[in-house]
Amino acid sequence: MGKEHIVIIGAGMAGSKLAHELVSLSSAPFNVTLIGEEAQVGYNRIMLSSVLSKEMNEQDIALVDVSAMSQNGANIIASDPVVSVNTDDKRVFLASGTELCYDRLVFATGARSFLPDWAQVGADNVVGFRDWNDVKALLALPLGAKVAIVGGGLLGLEAAVGLAKNGHQPVVIQRSEYIMNRQLDRVSAQYLQNNLESRGVAFLTDTSPVQILMDQAGLSARSVVTDKGCIDVDMVVVATGITPEVQLARSAGVSVDRAILVNEKMQTSIEGVYALGECSQFEQHTFGLVAPIWDQLTVLVQTLLSEDAKFGIKPVPTKLKVSGIDLYSVGQINADPDQEITLLDSELNHYRKLVVNGDRLVGAILYGNVADGSWYAQLIQNQTNISEMLECLAFGEAYCQSVNA
Amino acid sequence: MTAKTTCPYCGVGCGVKVTIADDPSKGFTSLEGDDSHPANLGKLCVKGSNLVATLVQEDRLLQPKIHGKDVLWQDAADHIAEKITQTIAQYGPDSFAFYLSGQILTEDYYVANKFAKGFLGTANVDTNSRLCMASAVVGYKRAFGSDTVPCSYEDLELCDLLIMIGSNAAWTHPILFQRIAAAKAKRPNMKVVVIDPRKTATCDIADLHLAIAPGSDAAIFNFLLLESQRHQILDTHYIKQHTKGFANALWAAQKHQPNRAEVAKFCDVAETDLAQLSQWWCDTPKTVSFYSQGINQSSSGVDKCNAIINCHLATGRIGKEGAGPFSITGQPNAMGGREVGGLANQLAAHMDFATPGAIETVQRFWQAPNMATENGLKAIDMFQAIESGKIKVVWIMSTNPLVSLPDTEQVRRALEKCELVIVSDCKVHTDTTAYADVLLPALPWSEKDGTVTNSERRISRQRGLLPPLGQAMPDWWAICQVAQKMGYRAGFSYRSVDQIFREHAALSGFENNGKRDFDISYFNQISADEYETLAPIQWPVTPTRPKGTARMFEDGKFFTKDGKASFIPIYPEKPVAQTTHEFPFILNTGRVRDQWHTMTRTGDAAILVKHISEPYLEIHPEDAAKLNVQDNSVVEVSSALQSLKLRAKVSDQVRPQNLFAPIHWTRQFASQSIVSSLIPQACDVLSGQPESKHAIVNVKAVQGLRYGYVLSKKLPNLPELDYWCRVPLEKGERLDLASNRPDIIEVLCAQIEQQWSKGNWLEYRNPIRPQQRRVYIVDEQVVAFVLLQASPTLPSTSWLEDQLFSVDAMTEMQGIALLAGRAVNVEDKGAVVCSCFQIGSKQIEQAVRSGISSIEALGKSLKCGTNCGSCIPEIKQFIPVMEVTL
Repeated sequence: MGKEHIVIIGAGMAGSKLAHELVSLSSAPFNVTLIGEEAQVGYNRIMLSSVLSKEMNEQDIALVDVSAMSQNGANIIASDPVVSVNTDDKRVFLASGTELCYDRLVFATGARSFLPDWAQVGADNVVGFRDWNDVKALLALPLGAKVAIVGGGLLGLEAAVGLAKNGHQPVVIQRSEYIMNRQLDRVSAQYLQNNLESRGVAFLTDTSPVQILMDQAGLSARSVVTDKGCIDVDMVVVATGITPEVQLARSAGVSVDRAILVNEKMQTSIEGVYALGECSQFEQHTFGLVAPIWDQLTVLVQTLLSEDAKFGIKPVPTKLKVSGIDLYSVGQINADPDQEITLLDSELNHYRKLVVNGDRLVGAILYGNVADGSWYAQLIQNQTNISEMLECLAFGEAYCQSVNA
Repeated sequence: MTAKTTCPYCGVGCGVKVTIADDPSKGFTSLEGDDSHPANLGKLCVKGSNLVATLVQEDRLLQPKIHGKDVLWQDAADHIAEKITQTIAQYGPDSFAFYLSGQILTEDYYVANKFAKGFLGTANVDTNSRLCMASAVVGYKRAFGSDTVPCSYEDLELCDLLIMIGSNAAWTHPILFQRIAAAKAKRPNMKVVVIDPRKTATCDIADLHLAIAPGSDAAIFNFLLLESQRHQILDTHYIKQHTKGFANALWAAQKHQPNRAEVAKFCDVAETDLAQLSQWWCDTPKTVSFYSQGINQSSSGVDKCNAIINCHLATGRIGKEGAGPFSITGQPNAMGGREVGGLANQLAAHMDFATPGAIETVQRFWQAPNMATENGLKAIDMFQAIESGKIKVVWIMSTNPLVSLPDTEQVRRALEKCELVIVSDCKVHTDTTAYADVLLPALPWSEKDGTVTNSERRISRQRGLLPPLGQAMPDWWAICQVAQKMGYRAGFSYRSVDQIFREHAALSGFENNGKRDFDISYFNQISADEYETLAPIQWPVTPTRPKGTARMFEDGKFFTKDGKASFIPIYPEKPVAQTTHEFPFILNTGRVRDQWHTMTRTGDAAILVKHISEPYLEIHPEDAAKLNVQDNSVVEVSSALQSLKLRAKVSDQVRPQNLFAPIHWTRQFASQSIVSSLIPQACDVLSGQPESKHAIVNVKAVQGLRYGYVLSKKLPNLPELDYWCRVPLEKGERLDLASNRPDIIEVLCAQIEQQWSKGNWLEYRNPIRPQQRRVYIVDEQVVAFVLLQASPTLPSTSWLEDQLFSVDAMTEMQGIALLAGRAVNVEDKGAVVCSCFQIGSKQIEQAVRSGISSIEALGKSLKCGTNCGSCIPEIKQFIPVMEVTL
């Protein structure tokens, strides 16, 4: 009996890394084909912001060694998206007309930038911040360009900092009252905003865009109209979230909710078909951060090897990848003030908030000094009983351990 | 240049050796115990060791003041002389009073006494010694016919049984305690018995501790008198030859508590303990009874003294090596005051008004125009007379009656009413100077010059080694100025202090002929040079005894008319105030180890507040549990007179239903902590000594308080607080506080911001273990630290104190450390146990954990306890504790 052929649709981070893992297995039990729509395969999308801010270049952000992967027998197909899948006779059809048989199929189709209705005007200067093409467009801007970044989340802020660093005039438009509202509280968000402002980023918080006005030629956006007024732009970056890419799976008959439904073994509704990454949904969770995706990947490899493994949800820490800013957020970050231990250093702009529920730590925000971040994350994840540590918890691991010793 | 002087704290009177800086205005460059001084043989306790730190620098009174305005000495003297003259002319001599102190020197005492009793014509000369040993004086006088301390310190080392009654010598007379401890270590057969309602640090060396019911001491000695008879150890020959009244004393003892069971019941102690005491007493001829304020400060203090003395007379244990009833005085010169007659019920030089011919003798000697002819008013009566308007002018010297006298509210009313209040002091601000019309700048220790007498009758020089600051002058000089203004030039034209000493010595021998115990006539011609180099010597010092006298009554002859000592029948009495439903607790008072009196000197020395930095109320765990009082929480303690807020210290060192509070804290240091204000003015009718160790009170938990502290260079303006206590630090001050205001931290922080230029706050808020901490940083310096929390037990500040005002670039970890109150890589020493070497509890615990299991070894390893040694009882507590936990 020959080796099983595994076809992975999507050569983004999840797909590329999965392919790499599978061909690196010492028993080499699989033939692997990795199919991507982008020209670039296996880069670390998370590092695009570092490329934008010119702290890294293309080579620096390789996630996997593509040539080594090829040498190990992976069949890599780039710039040729899959257009349809037939799960009955286990075939995939590529845009180029190529047709492939598989024994097992993995959807790693990722996600797209979410484009709200008002942004869907076909303007050539409205982009996401998602892939190489987006980054290239932003890098090509003329010096001093006015850029509206819609969405004050992690991605939007990274884009804004990169743009400011490159000599542009970014304005972040944030619907919530403060930036990174899913990871930060008001205090830490204000610290972060102050810091970013000092780097040349402007902010319009509690502000929602309602319309894009096009230039006379009708090709490009000229200005963004918000509920608080109108701002002129040379470019608009929409960073209001992502939409899982599920079209292909849905049309193949795979069960899809907000994304492709998988069980704890990463199996979809169809036998022999799997999914992971941003295109997947486990219980109520979809995924945008990398840590759980690597967990999924580990589980999926084991599933494919018929080993027993289960995926579960863990709290995922967030760090902002902006040099000079240390930020760490994990777990439930807003609660009744009586459950929140805070530490604030307005001399050094350093802030900590720990959210406690009973004798468990459930959330933490660290701004300025994040050295203890992973320790807090561990306490949250392990559901450690912290009742004995409550008096020194905010001061960090060393303090808590020196008390125990 | 090196010089010798005498420590100004307790009645032990230790010799001190100092090196004076080349520029004397720079003070002393070194200070150590004088190994040639017989009182201490080179040792010093923690207060003595830190004398340099307590030289009065801050808030020093440098200029006479009338109603707050600086004036010249001449103007102040004129003002006083005029007012005294006018008042006496209108209301008679008894409208004037001196209220002096066991802190002033013998020569100052002598001149004050002479001025009042010989020239103004009033015996209203009393002193804070009234609060300390007046009962001991009367006890001795009733028994011996004279105020004679029979023993020497040596006897404490030579005895085989030492009974310590009402004395926490480990804290109050540390050097004597250490001499005793050393003697006991050398001769383990030597027994020490402590009789005290409290389990004090002194119990550390006790073979037996009788935690008697408060005030029941006399019954113990009546019991011993009866036991002496039962076990046939009476010295019948001595009783017959040298005493009188034995049968009556025995009968009284028999009548009151005929048997051990009755005594055990009265004193609330175990019969077996009484049996043990009796056995040791009966078996041990060399017995010293060592007693102090626990005996004296009582409405029946004199009787207690005589109960003790009776036992010694009955067994002939007096006038012999290692035996005798030994009263230990509290103050450095209470004895000197007694010698000159500086009490209202004395005339002069151990003569009383009632002594036949004494008034004429003294009048002749002084060439006095207006001799007082009868006893004046004792302290409590004096302040009552001030309030009632009989006394119109009072001159207070070196004492702080607004803190130390019982019912301080009465004292305040009296001073408010008094027409002229003159206060001689070294400090501008004390609780008492606040009521002064005229303030006179006095000389502090090291500037003042004269003699003091310690508890073993030893006269030592306290030398003026440093130049006086400002316009400060000797107290005797100030009195002479006033006397001269009043026209008494001849009697008050002393040019130097040795001249006064010669006169004092001459009076002691004047028409004496062996009639009076106090005789230092050997010095009546002493030259200025000889006075300057006078070595410590025990009186009497006469031409026949030029080397002084170590032990009195060796010949069995006493200073009564018939030369026989008197037994006094004793009917033991409990304190005047008995607990009621409304006031169910008994409050006892006393000193702490590292503070002195009303803290006017020791309170400003950071090193001396580390041992105990706040006033407190010791309460038994059973009572605390009943009242829902947490350790360290602020409680309200009330008597019929006053109500205070103090921190509770839950401790089984006090008996149930008994409380203890230290006497030291004043309004200068704490919100409401003047323990004397709770105490009624009940006195011993014979001695006039107040029952300062006994009040009936109630205790209540105070709900809803937040506890905290502020550390700062200079304390901010304080909002109204339920409780506060100011604690000096090496580099600033700490304010311990409690408040029921929810926003108190905001209020305090706003005050701090007003003190400094713009800075930044570090803040920590923990609502779960409710606590808030804030640090204020100005120009990268930590200038203030604020903590507020729900729990009354505050975290240690020792590490934080070092961080105040240290200039350093702030790092993230420093910010966290400041908020945490410690740095993780820095050793947290814990509470300071050994003040001399600043060794903390955690260091000792660590050392013990590492296997060090003796005081000696701890001393070798950490140095703790090897200088003054007064922390040794506390260090010891770490050893068994650690053994248990291991």
